[in-house]
Amino acid sequence: MKMKQLYKYLFAAILILQLTACNNNTDAEQLFNETPTARLNQQKSELNDALLSSQYGWKAVYFTDNTVLGGYTHLFRFAEDGTVQMASDFDADTKTYKSEYAIQVGSTVSLTFTTKNRIHLLSDSDNYPIPALRAKGYLGDFQFLYYGQENGEIIFRTNRNNRELRFVKATAEDWLNLDQNLVMEQNVIGGEERPLFRLLETNDGTTVHKFDFSFTAATRFANSNSIESGYSVSYNMGVGYTPTGIIVSPAVEVGGQKLSDFTYNDADGSFTATGTGGVSAVIKYTTKPLVLTDDYKFLLPGQPLAWFGFFVDDYTIDSPANSPLFYAELEKVNAALPAGQSIASIQIYANHSIGTFIYYTFVGRNPLQHHVTVQEDAVGKKAILKHKSWNGNTTVATPAFLASIDKYFMDPEGLYVKAESFRLFYSDPVYTFTSASSPFRMTTWKLQ
Amino acid sequence: MKLLKYNKIAVLALVSITLFSCGSDDLPGESQLDFTQPEKTSLDNWIDVTYLNPYNINVQYKWNQNTVDNSRYLFPPEVDKVKPALEIVETIWLKSYAAIGGPDFVKKIAPREIVLVGGVNLNSVGTKTLGLAEGGQRVTLFETDYIDKADRENVSQFIHTIQHEYIHILNQNKPFDEKTWKTLTPGGYTADWYNYEIEESNELGFITSYARSNINEDFAETAAMILIYTKDEYAAFLAGIQSPFALQALKAKEAIVVKYFKEAFNMDFYALRDEAEKNTTSVLN
Repeated sequence: MKMKQLYKYLFAAILILQLTACNNNTDAEQLFNETPTARLNQQKSELNDALLSSQYGWKAVYFTDNTVLGGYTHLFRFAEDGTVQMASDFDADTKTYKSEYAIQVGSTVSLTFTTKNRIHLLSDSDNYPIPALRAKGYLGDFQFLYYGQENGEIIFRTNRNNRELRFVKATAEDWLNLDQNLVMEQNVIGGEERPLFRLLETNDGTTVHKFDFSFTAATRFANSNSIESGYSVSYNMGVGYTPTGIIVSPAVEVGGQKLSDFTYNDADGSFTATGTGGVSAVIKYTTKPLVLTDDYKFLLPGQPLAWFGFFVDDYTIDSPANSPLFYAELEKVNAALPAGQSIASIQIYANHSIGTFIYYTFVGRNPLQHHVTVQEDAVGKKAILKHKSWNGNTTVATPAFLASIDKYFMDPEGLYVKAESFRLFYSDPVYTFTSASSPFRMTTWKLQ
Repeated sequence: MKLLKYNKIAVLALVSITLFSCGSDDLPGESQLDFTQPEKTSLDNWIDVTYLNPYNINVQYKWNQNTVDNSRYLFPPEVDKVKPALEIVETIWLKSYAAIGGPDFVKKIAPREIVLVGGVNLNSVGTKTLGLAEGGQRVTLFETDYIDKADRENVSQFIHTIQHEYIHILNQNKPFDEKTWKTLTPGGYTADWYNYEIEESNELGFITSYARSNINEDFAETAAMILIYTKDEYAAFLAGIQSPFALQALKAKEAIVVKYFKEAFNMDFYALRDEAEKNTTSVLN
C-alpha cells in the first residue's frame, strides 16, 4: 500500500510539472525589449545614419597609445555607396583620398576601413618611429567598435588595443586647414632661433610648478618631469597638432582641472592652456638651463687637466643634444674652407700644461689652438672664455673661416657646461657646452 | 487494479501533453540579418571570372579581421595593386600547373581562399614573413603593395611566396619522402636560420637560409626555388657550390622533389619549371 501511495504522488507530481511547463510567463527581468539580432541591426543603422549625417564628415584625433605616441588627426567623409574620403596629418601629404568602408557585425557593430587609405599608415609593421615599436608601426587600428553617441560625438573603441576614439563633427575649415597642422609641428619642434631650454609651467591658482619639457617629433611625444626637489610629478603626454596649437593626451591635470587644448603664441613660441580660476599650463622657452650645475668648474684655473672632444666622424655628431645652430655653424666652416678641407674635431683642453685652449682639427689642414683665459660667473654658474692667442701668437687675427663658430665659445655671457645622463655608444661621460646667449650647443666626450 | 487505471490515465495525459505542448504556430521567417552583398566593382567581377568561377578560389583583398592575425600590424593592399598581383599568380602559378598537371589539377588541390595583405609582415627579430598557408585552405600573401611587374627580381620574390606556400599545400595532401630527406643534411637545421648568409647555407646543402628552419620548409624552399630559377640560373647556382657534400645534398634533394611530383601527381617537375620560366617571362613583358 505504501508503494501505491508513492506512485500516486509521483504521477500527480509529474502531471503538475507537465501542466505547468510551457508557461509563457517569463517573470525573469527583461533587460532589453528587442532580440539581440534586432538590437545589432538597430545599432548598425544607427551608426550608419550617424556617419552619413554630418555635412563635412567627421574628425578624429587618434592617439593610438598615449604612453608612447602622440595624436594623428584624420578627417573622414562617408558616402552612402560605401566609400569614404579621408585626409590625415600623418605626414606632409594632407590630400584627400577615397577608399571603402564597411559597417561589420561581429561580437558588436564596428566601423572598418576595408581598403587602403591614410589611416592604415598607422598600422604598418615595417614603418615604426622608434626601435621599441619594431614590427608594431604606430600601434594603429582601423577597425573601431561602436559604443554609442554622446553630445553629437560618436564613441568607438579600437578593436585591437581597446582604446577610446571619438569622432567629432568636422567643419569646412578642418578640411581646409589640415595642412596647417604640419606647420604647427615645426613650432612644437622649435626653430633654430628659439632658445634651447623649454619648460612646462603649471599654475593651480596659487602655486606655480616647473617641469622640464622635451619633445620627440618622431613619436609626437613629450616627456616632462618636475625639476623641484621633493616634488616628483611627471607629465608625459602624446601631442596632436591643430592649426592653432596642440592637443595633448593624457590631459595635464592642474588643480583638479584637465587641460588638453594648448594655444600657440608665435611671439615667444609658447603654448598655453587655460582653465578656470587662474588655473593654467604653459609650455615655454627659457634662455637658461632649468637646473644649473657646477660642471663649468672644470674649466676654471687651478683645476686638474680636463679634455673634452667633439668629433665629426664619430658618435658625437649624432648626439640629440647638438643644436641646429651648431650644425649650421659646422657647415659654415666647411663652406669657407678650400675644396678638400673640412673640420674634423673641436676639442677643449682645460688646464693643460700649455694652458687652456680650444683645439680645432681639420681634414687636409694643420690644426689650430685658440688659447683663452677663463673667468667664473659663480652666480650664473658659467665659465666665460676670453681670447688670448691663436697658436701662442697674440697679434694674429682669428682665421676668417673660424670666426663665426668661435664667437659662440667666446660668448661674453659665458658657457654652460653640463654632464649629461646619456652615453654615446662608448662609456665615456658626455658633456655639453652651451652658449649662454644663443641656441648653440655642442656635445663632447670627456676624454680625461 | 486501481493503480493500473490511474496509471493508464496518467500515461495518456502525459503523452498527449507532451505531443501538444510547446506548440507554436510561428514559423521561422526571413533572417533578420542583413545579407545584402556590397555592390561589385569591376575588380570584383574580374576576380569572379578569373579565380572564383574557373578555380573556385575566393580572393579577399578587403579587410576582414577573421582571416588575418590581429596581433600583427598589417593593412589591406592598395586596390590598384590587387589585379597585377593576381595576374602574376594566375599566369605563373595557376597556368603553369594547369599546363603540366592538367586543367583540373589546381581545381582539385588548391587553397580555397587567397588573402592579399598590403604591407610587410615584420617579425620582432627582424625577419619578414612573406606568406602563410593555413591548413591547405588559405594562402595569405604579404607585401602586395610593393609589386612591380617590370622588375624580375620583385616578381620572382612574390611568386616565390605562392610557389612555396603551394608546395606546402601539396605536401598537406600527399606527404613527401621525409625519411630520406631527414638523412641528407641533418645537422644544418636551426631555429635562428636568419642569422646566416644565404651563401653560407648553400655550402651546407641548403638552397636558402630559410630552408634550414625544418625539413618541411626545406622541401618547400627547394622545390619553389628550382621553379623560380631558370634552367640556366639553376645550373649556374649548382656550379657555384664549392663543397662536394653540399652539392651532393642539393642534388639528392632535387631528386626527391622530382620523384615526389612524378609519384604523387604524375607530373614532370622539369617541364613545370620550364613552363613557369616561360610564363614568368610573359608576365614581365
